This record gives sequence, C-alpha cells and structure tokens, in this order.
Amino acid sequence: MDNIVLLVVLPLLAAFLMPVVARSSEVVARTLGLSVLFISIGIILNVWSQSGQIDSQAVSIVIGGFLPPLGINFYVDQISLFFALAVPVMVLLFWPWHRATSIREYSLMMLLTASASGLILSGDLFNIYVFYELLGIASYSLVAIQGRVSAVAASFRYLLMGSVGSVMMLLGIAIIYTQTGTLNLAHLSLLAPEKLNNMLGLASFALILTGMGVKAELFPVNSWVPEVYGSVSSNLAALMAGLLSKLAVIVIVRLLILLFPQPEALQLMGMLGILGVLTGELVAWRSRDFVRMLSFSSIGQLGLIFLAFSIPGEMGMMAGIAIALHHMLVKPALFMLATGWRGAVENLSGVARRSPFVVLLFIVLILSLLGIPPLPGFWAKYLLMVGLSSQDGFIYTLGMIIVPLAMVIEMAYLFKIVMIMYRKDNDEPAVNNSNIVDDSNIVDDSNIKVVQKHSKWGLAIAASVAAMLIAIVLQLQPASDKLLSLANQLSDRNYYISTVFPQIHTVRMQSIK
Amino acid sequence: MRNIAGLLFAGGLAFLLLVLASYLPYGQTPMFLGDAILAHAPGEVHTANIVAAVLLAYRGIDTLGELSILFTAAAGVGLILGHRSLRSDSAGVNGAVNSEQHSGFITTRAVDLIMPLLMVVGFYIIFYGHVTPGGGFQGGVILATAFFLPVLVRPGTRIEHGVITLLEGLAGSGFILVGLWAMFYDQPFLQPIFDSFLGTGPLGSLWSAGSLPLLYLAVGLKVGSELAGLLVTVSEVPELSETNISDADDINRK
Repeated sequence: MDNIVLLVVLPLLAAFLMPVVARSSEVVARTLGLSVLFISIGIILNVWSQSGQIDSQAVSIVIGGFLPPLGINFYVDQISLFFALAVPVMVLLFWPWHRATSIREYSLMMLLTASASGLILSGDLFNIYVFYELLGIASYSLVAIQGRVSAVAASFRYLLMGSVGSVMMLLGIAIIYTQTGTLNLAHLSLLAPEKLNNMLGLASFALILTGMGVKAELFPVNSWVPEVYGSVSSNLAALMAGLLSKLAVIVIVRLLILLFPQPEALQLMGMLGILGVLTGELVAWRSRDFVRMLSFSSIGQLGLIFLAFSIPGEMGMMAGIAIALHHMLVKPALFMLATGWRGAVENLSGVARRSPFVVLLFIVLILSLLGIPPLPGFWAKYLLMVGLSSQDGFIYTLGMIIVPLAMVIEMAYLFKIVMIMYRKDNDEPAVNNSNIVDDSNIVDDSNIKVVQKHSKWGLAIAASVAAMLIAIVLQLQPASDKLLSLANQLSDRNYYISTVFPQIHTVRMQSIK
Repeated sequence: MRNIAGLLFAGGLAFLLLVLASYLPYGQTPMFLGDAILAHAPGEVHTANIVAAVLLAYRGIDTLGELSILFTAAAGVGLILGHRSLRSDSAGVNGAVNSEQHSGFITTRAVDLIMPLLMVVGFYIIFYGHVTPGGGFQGGVILATAFFLPVLVRPGTRIEHGVITLLEGLAGSGFILVGLWAMFYDQPFLQPIFDSFLGTGPLGSLWSAGSLPLLYLAVGLKVGSELAGLLVTVSEVPELSETNISDADDINRK
C-alpha cells in the first residue's frame, strides 16, 4: 500500500535521470520512461487486486513518517486510485512515439505523469498547489515545443493565464491558512464548518476555483483552449482535454466537499458551468475549423460537468462523475480522429466514401457525446437532468433550460459535419500519405488543406473507445452500481476525516481545537 | 467572447479583492501548525534550524515538487530557446562574438579571485543549513552565481552543458534515492534516517539531524546546477538577426 507514493516518485526519478542516461544511450533513456509507466500501472493493479478493501475502505498514506496534520499524506480512495491508474495508462496511449525530438520532451512527459498522479492523490492543500504548478509548467513547455510558431504564441497566452490562475489559487490557500492555521485537508474539513463558513471562505473558494479552473476549462479562464488544442499534436490535445481537465475538476470537487460547506459556493460553480456550456457550444457552432470545434465542444462539456457537480446530493455527484468519465473516453478518441481531419470543416466533404469505417466510428462517438439513447452519454445526461429537476432554485431551473438547448446546438453542428462528410464531391483533395507531419518546419495551420491519413494507433484507440461505450451499455447495471459507490465515497466528508484521523486521533484533534 | 469573458473576470476579481480587504481580520492568525512544529521539531528531527525541519522532513515532498518545478522550467526554457526556429543561422552570430572582447583586466582577475570564495560560501551555507539560517536553496543560488560570473566576464566562451546536465540529474535523483532508502527499511518515503553513521551528534552540531544534511546537499547542487544551466542557456541565445525578427513578427500577428 505504501508503494502508492512510488507513482509520484518514480516518474520524477526517471525525469531527472533521462537526460543523464541519454548522454550515453538514448535507447536506454527512452526505455526507462516507458518502463516506469508500466511499473506504475503494475503497482496500481497490484494494490487493486491484493486488497479488495479499497472498494469499501479508503487509506491515508503518511509521507516522511509525520502524522497529519503536521506531515503530508496521500489519500487513496476509489476515485483517486482510478484516476491514478488513468494517468499512466493515458500517458502511455498518447506517448509521443514517432516524433524525433529531444529526450527532454520525454522527460517533460514523465514530469506531467508525476504531477498528475500527485495532484489526484495528495491530501494536503499546499501539496496540491505544488503539483498543480508542476503540472502547469510541464504542460506550457510541452505545448511550446510542438514545433509550430503558433504553438509558441498559444503557449505564451496559456502561460499568462495559468500563472495568474496559480497566483489566485495561492492567495486562496493563504487566506484559508490564515483562518485555520493548518493545511491538511482532513483537518481543514474538521475546522471548516466553524471557520470557513463565511464570506472569507467563499472568497477563497472563488479564488481557488478560478485558479484550478484554468486547467479545468472553466468559463472565464478558458480562452487558451481552442488556440492550444489547435496548435499542438492530437496526442497532447487528447491528453490535456481528456485527462488533465478532469483531474482539475475532481480536485476542485474534493476541495468543495471538504472545505466549503456554504450553498453559495455550489451556486457560483453552477453559474460558471452554465455560462461555460452556453459560450462553448455557441462558439463551437460558429467555428469553421474541425479541431477548434472539438475544443469549444470540450469547454461546453466541462461546463456540464461543473453544473452537474453543483447539484447537492448524490444524484449530482453521480451525474458529474458520469459525464466526466464519459468525456474522458470520448474526447481523446475524437481528437485522435481529428489527426487526419485538421483544417476547415469544408475540406471533409466526401471523406465518408474514402474511409467509411472511420466516419462510422466518428458517428458512434458523437452520438454518445450528444446523449442519444442507448449510448452511455445519454445515461450521463439523464442523471444530470434528473438531478437538476430534483432541485429548486434559479440556477437549477436555468440549467433545466440550458442543457437541452446545448444539446440541440451540439446536434446542429455535429450533424452538419456528418452531412459534409457524406456529401459527394467532384474535386478530391490531395491525400498526403506520410503519417508523420514534419513538425520541425514552421507550418501555418490555416494553410493545411490536405487531408492526412489517420495513424493506425489513433484509429485503434478510437475503435476501442467505441467498443467500450457499447460494452458499458451492455453492462449498465454494474456500471451504475460502481458509479453510485464512487459518488458516495467522494461526497462523504466524515468518512474522509475518519480515514485520515483514526478514532483516537480524532479525539485528540478536537481537544486541540 | 474573449472581451466579455475578460470583463467578467476583471470585475469578479476586483469584487473578490474588495471582499477580502474588508473581511480579513489582520493580525490575528491561528498558529496551529506553526506552534505544533515549533514544539515537536527539535525533539523529532534534531535540527536547530526549524525551517530545515519543515522543508526537508515535515513537508519534504513539497520540496521535491519545488525542485521538479525548477527542473521543468529549466528544461522548458532550454528546449524553447534551443529550438531550431530560433537557432537558425545562430552559429554565425555566436561565432562572431570576439573571444578577446572581455571585460577588462581588473574585472576578469577580480572574478577569478572571487569565484573560489563564493564557492566556499555557497557550500558553507548548504552544509550548515540544518544548524543556521540558510540551506540548499540559498546556497545553491550562490553556487550558481559563482559558476556564472566567469561566463559573464568572458562573453562568447563555450560552456559544455554535459557537466551541468549530469549534476542536475544526479542531484535530483540523490534527493529521491535518500527518500527511497527509508522505504527500503519499510518506513514511509522520505522519513529522516538516524543511523549509526549518519548525523547523531548533539542538537546544533554539524554532524546532527540524520539524513537531512544529505537532502540539503542534493537540494543545493540541484538548485545551483539548474540556475547555472538556465543562465548559460539564456546567455547563449543568439542576438536577434533578420530572420528571427521576422519570426517574432509572425508570432505577433497570430
């Protein structure tokens, strides 16, 4: 169980060693990174199989031998373990295999892995900030070295926005620390009803929400999204849209549950979610570029997730997790399909005749994204609507109107693409047969008119995602049971506190308080 | 959309800061963690410098994270500045710097004299980090200065990046290996080790605080090599030539 800390430490070790090893042998250095990812997956699977207890019981892992709240702990429950597994798996899937770049890019990928795992596992507010910052800097660098000039510009804007965000988050954490004098999440949660249930608490939540929201594509701080996803490779875009945004969301939700009991915090998040849905879908509808469309649709989906999590009670929690997991599967697959379809939507006319199988995959994926029964996306949205209808309050009523509206807009632009794909065209666009885009040259995105071929790897990922969606439909009952237990564990404050501070300790804490 | 979002963002931020300014009770902060650590640290960690106890023992994994942030930033800057689109035709520009064009006799000699002294000060601050105020971060910065001064007075000197890469890699892994060493004894990661041959001296002596001085040495070397590497990378960036300026324009237009 203590091995869990290796999920963060081993990738860091690999990242530090890779440039050194690469001086003597580049092959060994690359193998080092990959083998660390495999070891990480092995560790998690081992924990999962060895102790079936994780299903019922969470564990707090002490680092450095100092009991919380003095020391730092990692908190391992079902959802953090699940995301900790998703990190190495998805990094492995979207590893920059065939790009001939410096070994430092692989090193940055390892740092990204380590920080993502740390972010989801950490049980300490400041430790979360450190990993969030590391995640940010690793992703700015990865975006900037994508080889296009537009990527450097996009990365710079992303850097500005991200830095302002992390300063705001740090300010929020500082306020919490001045109010409570502690940083451990469980200890804070113990003190929160008394010390953070006021305007200052709300203000610090707003600061942390906007800070973390930069990665989670939250409404006012998401203008980097289309630019960055449009200028990086599909692999990195898939990783960022699929995994990193969800990690930020889950951490925000965890902080919300543990530290901020006030209903205004939920309403604030719900409102920003609704604005995100509206702006994301409307701009996606108007955009002419396929990748940009996907990026804006991603903003819309993240807005839905925030709206779902803002519903109090287990229904909202279930809906939020369901939409998050669903988007985590579908969006990377769509980005993998987008490898071959970069550029304006009009260029896609007639692709259905040339590659019918790929277009079929695309249709399955977008049907699920839209929420057409019986695909999993429908059940996720169904949960959201049921959750919304069970609440009264302005935000939730507004949500009841906005969500179907967003679905209609989404349907309009996604089906428009399908129509274009099935259109007969007379002039065939030139097909570029090389799989590898020459990234070292400065490529102007708007000038790419050629339709490139899909990589086999990307198609395999997209196909397996589609297969998984259908498998979930067949296994709906077990899936929803699992979802319910995830939601229950995530929303249980007292359970979190008692896991980190076993009984005797709790008594002592209260006496100190 | 971007303008509206920006306006909302700025308005919200201003409102937040107003709320904070009016509600924040200045000067009455609960010191739960601070008091507890002050009470426990000398007994548990045996460091005279409590800051070292917090940095390396109680919040050791935060320090590891911060080292990684520094490493990431340096790697990112190295990759971006070393990129071909910025480097194109740079060989000529860099070679054109006259190696004779240095900063004059007095400055050069003074730097040659100061450099070893700076090294000593840097290592002193690192080694005594657990006893006196100071430590790996501060000492590391001084080491980086000592390394960079000779480069500064002799522009155009070619620096071999190999040593820096080696040092930053090994120092970072050193920190982690000390942490893993504790796990080898079935203890949590980064637990301070007080062994027979590690520092077991009385509180306040150089040979005290167990494995913490080792960690501080790793931090110092890491910070020093990282900053030195960054400074050298920046100093090697070619001056803007015609092609580079057009690239910059290209960026601006987007």
